[in-house]
Amino acid sequence: MAQLAETYACVPSTERGRGILISGDSKSNSILYCNGRSVIIRYLDRPLEVQVYGEHAYPATVARYSPNGEWIASADVSGTVRIWGTRNEFVLKKEFRVLSGRIDDLQWSPDGQRIVASGDGKGKSLVRAFMWDSGTNVGDFDGHSRRVLSCAFKPTRPFRIVTCGEDFLVNFYEGPPFKFKLSHRDHSNFVNCVRFSPDGSKFISVGSDKKGIIYDAKTGDIIGKLSSEDGHKGSIYAISWSPDSKQVLTASADKSAKIWEISEDNIGKVKKTLTCPGSGGVDDMLVGCLWQNDHIVTVSLGGTIFLYSASDLDKAPLSLSGHMKNVSSLALLKSEPKVILSSSYDGLIVKWLQGTGYYGKLERKVISQIKCLAVVEEEIVSSGFDNKVWRVSLQGDQCGNAECIDIGNQPKDLNLALLSPDLALVTIDTGVILLRGSKVVSTIDLGFTVTASAIAPNGTEAIVGSQDGKLHVYSITGDTLNEEAVLEKHRGAITVIRYSPDVSMFASGDANREAVVWDCASREVKLKNMLYHTARINCIAWSPDNSMVATGSLDTCIIIYEVDKPASSRITIKGAHLGGVYGLVFTDEHSLVSSGEDACIRVWTVTPQ
Amino acid sequence: MANAASGMAVHDDCKLRFLELKAKRTHRFIVFKIEEKQKQVVVEKVGEPTQNYDDFTASLPVDECRYAVYDFDFVTAENCQKSRIFFIAWSPDTSRVRSKMIYASSKDRFKRELDGIQVELQATDPTEMGLDVIKSRAN
Repeated sequence: MAQLAETYACVPSTERGRGILISGDSKSNSILYCNGRSVIIRYLDRPLEVQVYGEHAYPATVARYSPNGEWIASADVSGTVRIWGTRNEFVLKKEFRVLSGRIDDLQWSPDGQRIVASGDGKGKSLVRAFMWDSGTNVGDFDGHSRRVLSCAFKPTRPFRIVTCGEDFLVNFYEGPPFKFKLSHRDHSNFVNCVRFSPDGSKFISVGSDKKGIIYDAKTGDIIGKLSSEDGHKGSIYAISWSPDSKQVLTASADKSAKIWEISEDNIGKVKKTLTCPGSGGVDDMLVGCLWQNDHIVTVSLGGTIFLYSASDLDKAPLSLSGHMKNVSSLALLKSEPKVILSSSYDGLIVKWLQGTGYYGKLERKVISQIKCLAVVEEEIVSSGFDNKVWRVSLQGDQCGNAECIDIGNQPKDLNLALLSPDLALVTIDTGVILLRGSKVVSTIDLGFTVTASAIAPNGTEAIVGSQDGKLHVYSITGDTLNEEAVLEKHRGAITVIRYSPDVSMFASGDANREAVVWDCASREVKLKNMLYHTARINCIAWSPDNSMVATGSLDTCIIIYEVDKPASSRITIKGAHLGGVYGLVFTDEHSLVSSGEDACIRVWTVTPQ
Repeated sequence: MANAASGMAVHDDCKLRFLELKAKRTHRFIVFKIEEKQKQVVVEKVGEPTQNYDDFTASLPVDECRYAVYDFDFVTAENCQKSRIFFIAWSPDTSRVRSKMIYASSKDRFKRELDGIQVELQATDPTEMGLDVIKSRAN
């Protein structure tokens, strides 16, 4: 049996030049955000417990809890809104095709009966408000000519809707049925976010012109603004009111979040500035914020979520981070405590600690994309999409100097001989390259298209898999390879080969969804019929005691086989990662860590039957 | 001799053995083979009632097609002992194309000769006729 023990969630997907909208539920103390096709529900007090809703067919953009906390409405780039229940396995209530383009913002009415959605589209269909259960329209929303970035519903009666967008306009609608009342053109750039105060008396709009304007909620007239002294120096992307309607939080591209106090005469004065504790690059621009109960949450462009406490603003924030893109490889550092390293193709390497979660990012001096990663005691060897292989030494928590080796061809796969980490085997299109330290010792053209490889820990044997499914076993003498045997069993291109920790067996997986365990000495098949996947096998991992082998595939499943039992007695984890499982590693006899296309990392507890 | 329209005759022994399995429960499974030279379907192997599903899977060749009938006993949710007769068309991916073609075109006629099959299953590799698949099709 395998059970989910921990999830290291992904972070919201962000885009330079646009803000993101995160929302939450004060009753269950959770925040909602979207990454790729999933909607992530994160509990602020239990960061390792994460729920993921993956039913959208297109990338999801925004999600909101209904006022009674029972339903969540989420929207995606195709203009579809899905309303589903928070309990009971996210059962779908209704799905509506609301706009003809992407939806940027969504809000429930305070009685939970109506939903307003705004975004991109053609002509009239830039904003729509509809009844939540029947989908019937409740108003005419003309007045905008370009993408509508945000919308808000007045939380008290009489109901009003306010929308703002890229045409610099802030429009005010009265209803229901909602009709255009008036429009303001006081912003000189995109208006990014508009929000009503929880008591329903005012609303504020903020924009890329660094201004914030305060309006009266019933009539829509301008009553004040956020003071420009000590104001933001960059576009303001998001705004959130405090629960008592007296303060607002703004997040801006100048890498700071400011808390403003709204005085009686409706002038906002900066009460506190929260600067992002980061290295100061573009990744620290703040793109989203939320004020919920006592928590202040800000999200940066690099995806880091900062949690401040509203009552104690001087306390250093808790920062949560993770991956934003497909996590393509996982490795285990055998230090104490065991640190898991995960890397995604955009060059981000994150450290995780089992039981705690996010442990830090590995600051690399050279940010290059990573395709293959191999880790040994104090060294990380990685290769990207150029012709270079990087060797970086790890000093404690930080990266030391990086040495780069130009190998003349694009590396397809990278392996380190674990016991003599000097020796590395890099496969290129039709051959392999042997590296010792930072020198290329030999480039060998093998004559067939190489797809995967593995090197034994003591550096004497290497196995190379080819496009036609054959496994070629070579012995390494000095700097040359001598072919020892060719093993034929696979019926598709070999995708991954892994030696068992005691080097007595090796497992290979192919693109035709089959995996085979071989005995090293006799080169005979030890376990066959491992055909239970339904798509290409992406990764294989061995348990430290050599008793179990796990395979992860594009079909989102992980299957764990025991080497001594027939393949039919297997443990299957279905739906481990939306989009496919790309990385697998065992941390100890019973814990398996997996990572996938959904940018999440999950830890599973495996108990053999 | 019973006739099959696709040109493949069915040996009388097949029908007799099947009736024995159905009525008298003297066999656990029967494996049928198409003899190309004689152009007929014959009984290749018969299993004792004491044998189980693993013995049956072991008696099917890895690289060749076969037809098989298996009598599967199970206990339902309401605690009743039930049994289902499965017809399995074993057509592994690793077998020759000619073999797959002959078995596929003769299957329909052959099945019609065996009256009383409750569940039909086609398996192209061992995972498709695993015990869990049989159990899920049984109810």
